[in-house]
Amino acid sequence: MSAGATCIELRDLVIRYGEVAAVNGVSFEVARGEHVTLLGPSGCGKTTTLRAIAGLEQPVAGSIAIDGQVMYDAKTRRNVPTEQRGVSMVFQSYAVWPHMTVLGNVAYGLKVRKQGRAEIADKVERALDLVQMRHLADRPASKLSGGQQQRVALARAIAFSPTVVLFDEPLSNLDAKLRAEMRLELRELQRQLGITSVYVTHDQEEALAISDRVIVMNVGVIEQIGTPEEIYNQPRNRFVADFVGSANLIRGHVRESSAGPSTLQFVAEGGHVLEATAAHALRGNETEVAVRTAYIEIGKSNAVNQLPGTVRRRMFHGDFVQYVVDSPVGQMIVRHPPTNLVPEGEKVELSFSPEHCVLLEG
Amino acid sequence: MRPRLNSQGLITLAVLLAVAFLVLLPVLFLVEESLNTGDPMAFPPQQYGLANYLAMFEEDLQVIINTVVIAVVATVMAVLIGFTLAWILTRTNVPGRKKLERLMELPYYMTPLVGALAWAVLASPKSGFFNQIWRWLGGTGDLVNIYSMFGIAWIMALFEGTVAFVMIAAAMKSMDPALEESARVMGASKLRTALTVTLPLVMPGVLGATLFVFAEMLGSFAAALVIGIPARVYVITTAIWDSTLSYPPAYGRASAMGLTLFVVMFAMLTFYRWVVGRGSFATITGKAFRPRLMDMGRMAWLLFGVCALYVFLAVLLPIAALLLTSFQRFATALLGQAQYTLANYELALALGPVRTALANSLMLGLGVATTGVIVMALLVWVIYRSQLAGRGSIEYLVMFPQAVPRLVFGLALLWAWLNMPIPIYGTLWLLALAYFTVMLPLGVRTLAGVVLQIDKSLEECARVCGASWLYQLRTVTLPLLKPGVLAAWLLIFMACVRELGASVFLMGPNAKVIAPSIVSAFASSGIELTAAMALIQTFTVILALLILFRLTRGMTRELT
Amino acid sequence: MRVAGAFGLALLVGLLPSWGQAQGKVCDNPRQMPGFKTCADVDKAEAEGAFVLYSTDPEAGQVKLLAAFNKLFPKIKTSYVRLQAGALYAKVLSERQAKSYLVDVIQISDMGMILDFQKRGGFRQYVSPEMAAFKPEYKSQPEGYWTWGSIIMGGIAYNPNNVSAAEAPKTWEDLLDPKWTDAINVKVSNSGLQHGIYYMLKPILGEEYFKKFGAIKPRAFDSYVQQYGRLVDGQDKIIMGAQYSGYIEFKAKGAPLAFVFPATGVPAVSETYGIVADGPHPNAAELFIDWFLSPVGQQALSEALLLHSPRADVPAPAGSMPLQDMKLLIPADWHDFEKSRPEFARDWDRIVGARR
Repeated sequence: MSAGATCIELRDLVIRYGEVAAVNGVSFEVARGEHVTLLGPSGCGKTTTLRAIAGLEQPVAGSIAIDGQVMYDAKTRRNVPTEQRGVSMVFQSYAVWPHMTVLGNVAYGLKVRKQGRAEIADKVERALDLVQMRHLADRPASKLSGGQQQRVALARAIAFSPTVVLFDEPLSNLDAKLRAEMRLELRELQRQLGITSVYVTHDQEEALAISDRVIVMNVGVIEQIGTPEEIYNQPRNRFVADFVGSANLIRGHVRESSAGPSTLQFVAEGGHVLEATAAHALRGNETEVAVRTAYIEIGKSNAVNQLPGTVRRRMFHGDFVQYVVDSPVGQMIVRHPPTNLVPEGEKVELSFSPEHCVLLEG
Repeated sequence: MRPRLNSQGLITLAVLLAVAFLVLLPVLFLVEESLNTGDPMAFPPQQYGLANYLAMFEEDLQVIINTVVIAVVATVMAVLIGFTLAWILTRTNVPGRKKLERLMELPYYMTPLVGALAWAVLASPKSGFFNQIWRWLGGTGDLVNIYSMFGIAWIMALFEGTVAFVMIAAAMKSMDPALEESARVMGASKLRTALTVTLPLVMPGVLGATLFVFAEMLGSFAAALVIGIPARVYVITTAIWDSTLSYPPAYGRASAMGLTLFVVMFAMLTFYRWVVGRGSFATITGKAFRPRLMDMGRMAWLLFGVCALYVFLAVLLPIAALLLTSFQRFATALLGQAQYTLANYELALALGPVRTALANSLMLGLGVATTGVIVMALLVWVIYRSQLAGRGSIEYLVMFPQAVPRLVFGLALLWAWLNMPIPIYGTLWLLALAYFTVMLPLGVRTLAGVVLQIDKSLEECARVCGASWLYQLRTVTLPLLKPGVLAAWLLIFMACVRELGASVFLMGPNAKVIAPSIVSAFASSGIELTAAMALIQTFTVILALLILFRLTRGMTRELT
Repeated sequence: MRVAGAFGLALLVGLLPSWGQAQGKVCDNPRQMPGFKTCADVDKAEAEGAFVLYSTDPEAGQVKLLAAFNKLFPKIKTSYVRLQAGALYAKVLSERQAKSYLVDVIQISDMGMILDFQKRGGFRQYVSPEMAAFKPEYKSQPEGYWTWGSIIMGGIAYNPNNVSAAEAPKTWEDLLDPKWTDAINVKVSNSGLQHGIYYMLKPILGEEYFKKFGAIKPRAFDSYVQQYGRLVDGQDKIIMGAQYSGYIEFKAKGAPLAFVFPATGVPAVSETYGIVADGPHPNAAELFIDWFLSPVGQQALSEALLLHSPRADVPAPAGSMPLQDMKLLIPADWHDFEKSRPEFARDWDRIVGARR
């Protein structure tokens, strides 16, 4: 599963808020130098899990180990306080201290570790360089813009060279353009410094773009763990297919004993037969296939699955065009580059390959 | 998980015990004494019974009626004043809004005691300034008579009106202006909008303010003391006062009355919390909208006049009356007959006790405010930021003194410390203890407002960076609390210097403070001397405040 | 026999000092100070450095009196508390119960309370050389527990600007005229003087008098300063039981006032002083009493508070009628006076419309 040595290990973690289990049995590992993202809708437990790693939430069961050292273990009643865990964190609100300067903020972790003045100055300078904020070192932190605060929070987090950095939706307060830029910078920084990072976001686009692996969560449990490509191309179940990217969900059943070496036959409601693939061993209770909207071609092609249809609606989204097409298996949504626009009402052929028609777990 | 017993836990436990001792113990003494039906001076009581409570309803029924009637009338007036001012200043384009809002704070510095004295000078029958002028203009009899139930209610309303104003204005500011705008877009006139949209939406806030003001009116003392006693109108607070001042002192009776008043106030305040829908007493957390101001055209100047009238009646007129009186040999409004003298000020300043009392008050204010904010900051952190199991009960305990009228609490402290083995009765230490305890709700409330505005993540981040609890407290929490700490310090300082209700019971020959000294001067010296003393007190407070503002202006500016 | 005799003699000799003490004996070598003799240890008094007085007299007057003492003994800082008699006594008792000993000398204008305090052992016996000048009825028996510091009497006062000479009252009965309704003020029931007035006038004027007086709706105040102030500014027309010393004080300031000594007589009570047992500054207390009871001290009192001294060798305050020219009505049996207090308080509170 992971290349280098394991850096963070969570086993069967359970965290409760009163009666409700916000995190209900979560286990995963993060390898050294890996960038893992916890992805999910609000309330899925991703932030709670992240904060538990930092020691800011109190689990009721399970264990957490960082760099081989047990930080939390329910059985041995061990719970290392936050300030001794040695991880770093970037908060959603940045948490930049308004009563200190940029320099004061970034140097804080180093001062706590009682490092020498020259050393502190050196490390702060380097951290600020990495985020291009050196020229604002003496500015009071209360006078920074949102983007600048974000950079300071980042510089502060890496200044004392932690091995693990936790990110709690650090970009969600920025506008779309800035978010896209910062995304890349963060990834660059992480690679450059070899930091192990756990990143929380609800933005699936962001998760796919910068992660080594993605952990999709929903109501306190993990739905799927995999690389961005795996998550996108082989969603395990309805939730993942729906939450990550956009997909058409077609109901039906698997034709008995139709499973070949790599493909199987799926009878959609209404009778049309599709050739699909499955990433899991068949259990017999599967009722849906997912077809990514981006993978559907308009027009005849060599693809195995062909669907006739009528374009009911066309909406121009700038970078892509979205068509709503009536077909024998129901309404299909197709996303297409904004070339060769097809007028509404036109009859078309939709085609897609079996790899792109994924059988979902029941 | 077993809770960690570390420095955090130990300190908070110690604080909890200390607060419980200060707040609950005196009340327990009071409860015990209220059940004393034997010798009122004996401790512990030799006989127990409910006779004191029953006697209250038999003999003091008139007192209870008076209290309720005056409180109701005063509340109605205060809420009317507060509502009118709030509406004018937050919803209309009255000229000079900013300045007027600042002026609305002035009556708070006046204190009801000084106000009552001033209005006694202005409106007493036959010799009051108003009546003198009336007769000089040719009228017969009296135009006004302050020595009546309405007079007491009037003074109370005048000075409590500013509290109602602050509360209702806050409610009005938190209303989304879009709600009114959509009514206007659909064609409703200004008046219709005000009546059908604004008013119903502001009602909960107004109701809350009404309950709060009513609770305060029940426990009001200064006006009833200065105006009520000559008018032969007793309310519960002055009845309690009176009971302890005769021989033999009826401590049992006084305790029973005090506890009854406390129970009623407690119920009112609980109701208030329920109405306002807040879990804790922490105020101002939400954002304030900027409401769209109604253009009142030429009426705007009339509204300006209304605001100015309030400031005039509550601040300018009383101060002017007292000034005039303090410079006269015998108080008169007919300037032609007046004989002017500086003797009153000479005497007031020469009176050793007055100087000592003023010095004591200032010293107590400085001491209690300084230690108070440190302890209260710690309490606020424990209540709102820590994970300590009992922190809800600490919050409750700390807010408890708010439900106890100051006078009753003073009585409880008197009785408790008369009978406890440590002899601090009659010393400044007891006064300091009393002040600290009664100021707890005020200080905690102010600091809580600031703490709740500090994002939790600022503190968590420090801990993630490796800071221990104490280090984080010192480098992040406390510096961020500075503006709130300052505000709390000033409020506590002022409240200490003006304190009357608790102080009257706890003074000794070497522990005199200024407000009760003014009251005692009113009883045993001429009104001219009393006026001089009251003005000396008022101006000393204002002077101290100005100095403090100067010194701290730099400090707050860098944080805003 | 001789042994028994010697034994008896020794016993007698042994008993003598205590017998002398019980009877109140002045110290052997009183020290002569400027204007008075003292048995107190002056050095110890000055070392104590402070003196506390509780008294019913108006603050301004107390300040003047204590200032005169302080002038002679600058090292002794003085402080005081002023409360009306009932309140003062309540405070003293409360403090003693709390074992809080804050006061050295108390003055209370109600003899009933004084006697009660003596019974409770509240006074410490100290025989001052100056006490010899006081008549036996003006001091405790045995002497040294308490002594009369002044005599106060109550008559009728009014403002001639508001009340013409023709309609002005001349007797106590004149005050029952309905035209004075709502225009008379009196002292509160806590007051010793008011108690004395009620106690002395009731048997003379009859049971009905005070019932009818209640119909006039008098207003009660804590201090004569308030009473006279209201006379001057016209809020009230008459004071019933007006304290004569107040009249002299205000007249000296130029106030328009007139005083009436009804033919029936003016009730009078004492302002009584005594050293409190377990006081914080015992030597300073003794020194004060010696000074206070001397002609010098009594003169200072007269100047500060315009009060009449019980001493024959101290003249009446300037501009006032001397004691011997007044028909004073002084209670004969102070124990009976003491017992009458609760009933007086109840009745008086009803008359003035106070709580009870």
